[in-house]
Amino acid sequence: MRRLLLLTAFIIICSTIYAQSQRKPPAGFKKKAKQQQNSFLDKQWWIGLKVGPNLTKASPETRYSVLTPTNYALPLTDKRYDGFKKLGSQATLEITFDYKGIGFSFQPTYRLSRFTYTNEFMWDNPENAAEMLQLKYDHELKLDYADLPFIVKYDITGNTLRPYIQGGVFYSMLINANKTVEISGTDFASGGTNELSSEPVIVGAKDLFHKSYWGLMAGAGLHYNLGNVRLVFDASYRIGMSNVTDTKNRFSNDRLSGIGDALDDMKINNIVLSIGCLFPMRFLSTSFKSIDR
Amino acid sequence: MNKYLLIFISFFTFSCANESDPEADKSNFVRIYDSDRYNASFNPIDMQQTPDGGYLFLGSRRLEESNFSGAYLMKVDEFGAFVSEQLIDEEYLNPVGDLLFLNDKYYFFCMAAVSFQTQLVEVDTDGSIVEVYNVGGSYPTAAALDGSNFILLGYDNGSKESVVSIVNETGGVLQATGYSVGAGDAVEEPIINHFLRTGRQFPFQVGKTSGGQYFYNGFYNYTFSLVFTDLGGAGLGVIQGQQDDGGISRLIQLNGNTYATARFNFGDNYFLPNATLSTSGISSSTDLGGFSLPELVPNAPVKILVSNINEKDVILYTSNTKSGQIGIYIYDQSTGEFLGSKYLGFSNPFEVNSIINTNDEGIAIGATTYVTGRFPRITLFKLSTEELSAIF
Repeated sequence: MRRLLLLTAFIIICSTIYAQSQRKPPAGFKKKAKQQQNSFLDKQWWIGLKVGPNLTKASPETRYSVLTPTNYALPLTDKRYDGFKKLGSQATLEITFDYKGIGFSFQPTYRLSRFTYTNEFMWDNPENAAEMLQLKYDHELKLDYADLPFIVKYDITGNTLRPYIQGGVFYSMLINANKTVEISGTDFASGGTNELSSEPVIVGAKDLFHKSYWGLMAGAGLHYNLGNVRLVFDASYRIGMSNVTDTKNRFSNDRLSGIGDALDDMKINNIVLSIGCLFPMRFLSTSFKSIDR
Repeated sequence: MNKYLLIFISFFTFSCANESDPEADKSNFVRIYDSDRYNASFNPIDMQQTPDGGYLFLGSRRLEESNFSGAYLMKVDEFGAFVSEQLIDEEYLNPVGDLLFLNDKYYFFCMAAVSFQTQLVEVDTDGSIVEVYNVGGSYPTAAALDGSNFILLGYDNGSKESVVSIVNETGGVLQATGYSVGAGDAVEEPIINHFLRTGRQFPFQVGKTSGGQYFYNGFYNYTFSLVFTDLGGAGLGVIQGQQDDGGISRLIQLNGNTYATARFNFGDNYFLPNATLSTSGISSSTDLGGFSLPELVPNAPVKILVSNINEKDVILYTSNTKSGQIGIYIYDQSTGEFLGSKYLGFSNPFEVNSIINTNDEGIAIGATTYVTGRFPRITLFKLSTEELSAIF
């Protein structure tokens, strides 16, 4: 459903861009506009939508595990995190104030991030090789956040195609979280080699995560002025600066504790790619011309 | 402008502050202590919080060469992290609770492998064995503190008697009184099956009331009974069960003749958080009534703890549910009114073995879980006072 909404938004945006680009300026407009540009186009408000994918990597700070070894090494219980493996998505409302090539941008974003980790365990009997069980737990986390980033952009050149760099800070509020655990393995003790697999355990995990975190971001992008509108391609790297795990609720989910899982203290980093289009809020004339140099 | 910037920075700092919190890590956790040995089996019997804030477990373990269970000690720290374990020599079998704290040492009873004679094991706060004392007698089933001595309930298979003994801290028997379980092999069979773990596990218990009367929950006169005695010639108070199919599951004295207790009867389970028990004469446990708990496993083991939550004196009952969870049921101590419940565990089955108050006003529950559904392992649930307060 969410993908359908994003697709619909994208189609509407593209049709608007096309319509705007077909408009012909009235005669004599160019000269007048040229005169106004210098003073007027120093400032502009832009508003628009961006959508795109993101990739997430979780970086554990302090390790936790329900399963506590008594006769094997504790690090064997450590989770192995997969970095930037699962594709998430986000939709952003961008509001930017441009002043002489420097943009001050507020970009509230709805973001779905996904990341995975695994643990593996083995039980055996050195005196009887047939008594062995290997299990692998594949965990996938889906986190929905409302991001509130404040970003400063700087246009490197002032042509129609405008590359820019950006940096800022963001504050993310947790909206929802779900966790899926798939258990697979091999049982050698049942009289043969028995490949095990189970239906995924899907649990709501919102209580396991802190209600908010913050971070820093930096990136680059391209603006392309097309007609009255501005197309934007944007890439940024977000570094989480605070722990996303709720330290008080780490063991609160009985279903996860029951299978030996507890969340580590961790920070999450994202690679975020977006495309979209921005519309000017101020126009040069009553003919709704806003295009600058 | 600076003021607004300060407010903005403060908002970020405080609203996102969620760094590791050692206090939270200590007050609330779940730990499953796992061995990677396929054929290993560990069950907790009792635990105590040690002066350093950690926990000392007395447990049993499966032995390849014996029908009886072996003894096991495990020390964990205040965060529940594993510290050490003692796989006690197979010469010592059938450990029984309680794990008793006396004069800065911990003690438990077990029996010698060959003679079946009762042994008293002295353990330091790190979980290391200091000394083993021969007590004599046989088949220990339960123990409790009696001032600076211990009360021991055992079974003498020679005279077919339940024996209540007063034992000092070096294993000397100061007093011992036997109570006949009845003649014939039939009455002995369930007792032996209990020890071999091939039959029903009976809720043996021994203790002393505030009025100076001793009691034991065990076999007497062909029936699993709660027996009140002065260990002398005075008459007994007996609350009879239904041979080996009914009786008292657990009891704690609240005051006078008022007890928080639980009973079982042909598989059914009943809680009595405010029961008046007759400590003289003969009565029947089936006449006590109680709250029926159909969600519990048949003849469920029950642990009872008097505690204080939300500044209210409460009684916590814990037991095993048919769904493989541990149920915690809270009652008002003064009225017996039900206040709330909470269930622990999911996915793999969990069974309760012990419950204690902790020095941070929370509770700790020692349990057995079956990792991957097959390996019995010791589990520690630590619940904070905040989590308990949320129950009611």
